[in-house]
Amino acid sequence: MSTSEPRLDVPWVEKYRPSKIAEVVNNEDAKKKYVAWINAWLRGKPQKKAALLYGPPGSGKTSIVHATAREFNWELIELNASDVRSREALRQRVSGALDTGSVFGYQGKIILLDEVDGISTREDAGGLQAILELIEKTRWPIVLTANDPWDPKLRTLRDACELIEFKKIGKRDVVKVLESICQKEKIECPKEVLSAIADNCKGDLRAAINDLQSIALGKKTLSVADLQVLGDRAEQENMFEIVRTVLTAKSPEQALSVTRLPSLDYEMLLQWLSENIPYQYEQSLQAIADAYNALSWADIMLSRMKREQQWSLLSYALELMTAGVSSSRERPPFKFVKYSFPEKIRILARQKERLEEYRKVVREASSRLHVSTSKFRTEVQPYLQVILEEDEEEGKMILRSLGIPENKINVVFKTEEKAHS
Amino acid sequence: MVEELWVEKYRPRSLDEIVDQEEIVKRLKEFVKQKNMPHLLFAGPPGTGKTTAALALAHDLYGDYWRDNTLELNASDERGIDVIRSRIKDYARTLPLGDVPFKLVILDEADNMTGDAQQALRRTMELFSKNTRFILIANYASKIIEPIQSRCAVFRFQPLPKGDAFNRLKWIAKNEGITVDEQALEAIWEESQGDLRKAINTLQAASAISKNVTEEVVYAALGRVKPREVKEMIENALRGDIIGARDKLRVLLYNYGLSGIDIIRYIHREVLSQKSIKLDEATLADLLVLVAEANYRIVEGSDDEIQLMALLSKLAVLANKSKKG
Repeated sequence: MSTSEPRLDVPWVEKYRPSKIAEVVNNEDAKKKYVAWINAWLRGKPQKKAALLYGPPGSGKTSIVHATAREFNWELIELNASDVRSREALRQRVSGALDTGSVFGYQGKIILLDEVDGISTREDAGGLQAILELIEKTRWPIVLTANDPWDPKLRTLRDACELIEFKKIGKRDVVKVLESICQKEKIECPKEVLSAIADNCKGDLRAAINDLQSIALGKKTLSVADLQVLGDRAEQENMFEIVRTVLTAKSPEQALSVTRLPSLDYEMLLQWLSENIPYQYEQSLQAIADAYNALSWADIMLSRMKREQQWSLLSYALELMTAGVSSSRERPPFKFVKYSFPEKIRILARQKERLEEYRKVVREASSRLHVSTSKFRTEVQPYLQVILEEDEEEGKMILRSLGIPENKINVVFKTEEKAHS
Repeated sequence: MVEELWVEKYRPRSLDEIVDQEEIVKRLKEFVKQKNMPHLLFAGPPGTGKTTAALALAHDLYGDYWRDNTLELNASDERGIDVIRSRIKDYARTLPLGDVPFKLVILDEADNMTGDAQQALRRTMELFSKNTRFILIANYASKIIEPIQSRCAVFRFQPLPKGDAFNRLKWIAKNEGITVDEQALEAIWEESQGDLRKAINTLQAASAISKNVTEEVVYAALGRVKPREVKEMIENALRGDIIGARDKLRVLLYNYGLSGIDIIRYIHREVLSQKSIKLDEATLADLLVLVAEANYRIVEGSDDEIQLMALLSKLAVLANKSKKG
C-alpha cells in the first residue's frame, strides 16, 4: 500500500510526446526525409547508417525518435551525448547493446545520441571518434541530434550522417498543440493566454508545453493574470539542463558555471536539485548524503542571508548548491536521468485550495484555543479525532464548543483520512 | 454539562493561578502593580505557558475589560505584515479603557515572520509605542531580529518540571472524575517532555478511550495520535530506500502539516529509545549528535524537507555501513 498519491510529475512534454511519426508537429520535409531513411533501414540497406537531426530546441528532433521507437516497437537506447565523456564510457554503455540481439518483446532497436554538439573535443577525449566507430559497426539505426551541426568539430560526423533539418514550429501549430493538451487535462484556458505562451517561446514547442504546465499547476482555469509567472520563467535557461550540468559536472568549475547564468532562480534550483539528487545518485547512499549535506548548507546560508541581510553569503550559498553538491564522495558513474519537476511545489499547489477551506473552518476554533490554524492541525486535531472516534457525542459537543458546526466536521478531518488511505 | 477541551477549560485565567514559571510570574505581577511595562518577548518551547501568561497578564491588568484592551494576532495566520500593520493601526487608534495608559498587542508565533516582516514590525512597534505595548511570543528568541529583541524584555520559559506537570494532570483528572495511575503519567510524560498542552490533550484523548487511564490506555491513544509514517520513513531510510523515505516524509510534512521540528522530535525519541534505530557503526552519542545537528539546522534553515533529507540520508549511510561491517 502506498501512501503517496499517484505521481503526477510526468512532464507534459513526455506525457504528450507523439506516439507516431505522423503526429510530430510541422516539419513535413524533415519527416519525409526521415521516413525515407528509416524505410531504407527496414529494407536493410541504408546509404548512411546514422542520421543527424539538427535544428533549434523544441522543434521535434527527439520526439520523432521516440515516436519511431513506439511505432515500430523498437527498444530506444537513449544517451545524452554531452555526458558521454570518453570513448570508454560510450563503449561501455552502447557497444554492448549494439552487439546483442533485441530484448524479448521488442522488434528492434534505435539508438539516440542527443546533443552531440555538446561534446567538447578537449574534455571528452575520443568521444566523437567513438561515435564514428559506433556508426561503422552498428546493426541498428543511430540518430544524432544537434542544435548547431556546422561546428567544425562535427565535420567528420556530418559526413557519416544523413543530414535532416528541423525548423522552428509555427505559432499556429504551437497554439494547436497547447489547445489539445488543455482539452485532455480538462483545463479551461482562453486563447489569448495560449497565444501569449506561443509568442513567448519563439517556436520552441517544448518550452511552450513546459510553460503551460508550470502556469497550470494545480489550476483548472487559466487567465491572463497567470502569465505573470511566465515572464521570469521564459527568460530562464532550461532548468533540466542546469540540473544536469550540476549533478553530472566533471569539475567544480563546470558546476559553478550555472551560477553565472543571467537570471538563475536559485530558490527554484534548490528545489530542483533536492528533487533529483536521489534519482541521479541512486546507486550510492554516500553520494546522496554528501549532496544533501551540501544542499542543506546552501539552504542555511540563504536563510541567514535573508534574515540578517548578509548579502555576502549569497556566493557561498550558490557555491554550495552547485560545486558543493556535485563534489560528493563516491559519486556513481553517469546515468541518464529524466529529471522531475519538484514534487514539493506540486503538492503544495495542489493542496492550496483545500488548505484554505480548512483554515476557514477551523479559524474560529483556533482563536478560541489561542493557537494558529496550523498548530490546531498538528497539536489539537489528532487528539480530537481520537475523542470523536471513541465517543462521538462527546466529540461533537467539544467541536461545537469550539465553533465547528456539524456539517463542517468532514472538512476538518479529511486531511488525515487521506493520509491514512 | 458542556464538554470542551481541557487545555482551555483548565487554562489559568489570572497570574495567581499559574503555578510554575515562578520568576517570570513574579515580574509580570510587578508590571500589573505598576500599571506599566516594556514590550515583552516570551520565548520557549511549546506548551510551557507563554500564551497563557500573556492572556493572564492582560486579564490582571484590565480586569473585566481585558478583551477590549487586548489584540491577539497570530503571525502564522495573518496574511503578511501589511495586514498585521493595518489591524494594529485600527486598534491602536482608540484609547485604552480603564486606568491603564496603554493597550496590549499579543503577537503569537512571531518567529514565523520573515526578516523583512520583522523589520516592518519593529517600525510599527515604535510608531504606536505611546499607547500600546507588545507581547511577542516565539519558540526561538534567536529567530527574532536583534533590533526587536533589544526593544523587549526577554522572558525565557522553561519546560515544566515533571512534578509540576504530574500535579496538574492529577488535579485535572480529579476534577473530571477519572482515574490516572502513576505509570500512565510516566507514559504521558515520556511523550510530552514538559509540553503541558500535549500532556493534557493526551490525557483527554486517553480518557475518551477509558475513564480508568492506565499505561496501556495512554499508549493506545498515542498510537493513534502519532502518524505511522514516522516509523515507515525511518525504516525506509535505514533500508537505504531514500526515495521511499522521502515519500513518507512528504506525507508527514504536507498531508499532516507537521513542522520539521515536530518530525525531528519523533526521530529523536526513536534514537533515544534505541529500538528501531540501533546501528553497529554508530554509537548512541553519534546518532544524538546527528539529530542535534539536524535540529539546529532546521531552526536555522528554511526548507524542512531538505534539512530532513540531509539527516535521513546520513542515517542511511550509517545503516548501510553497519550492515556490511
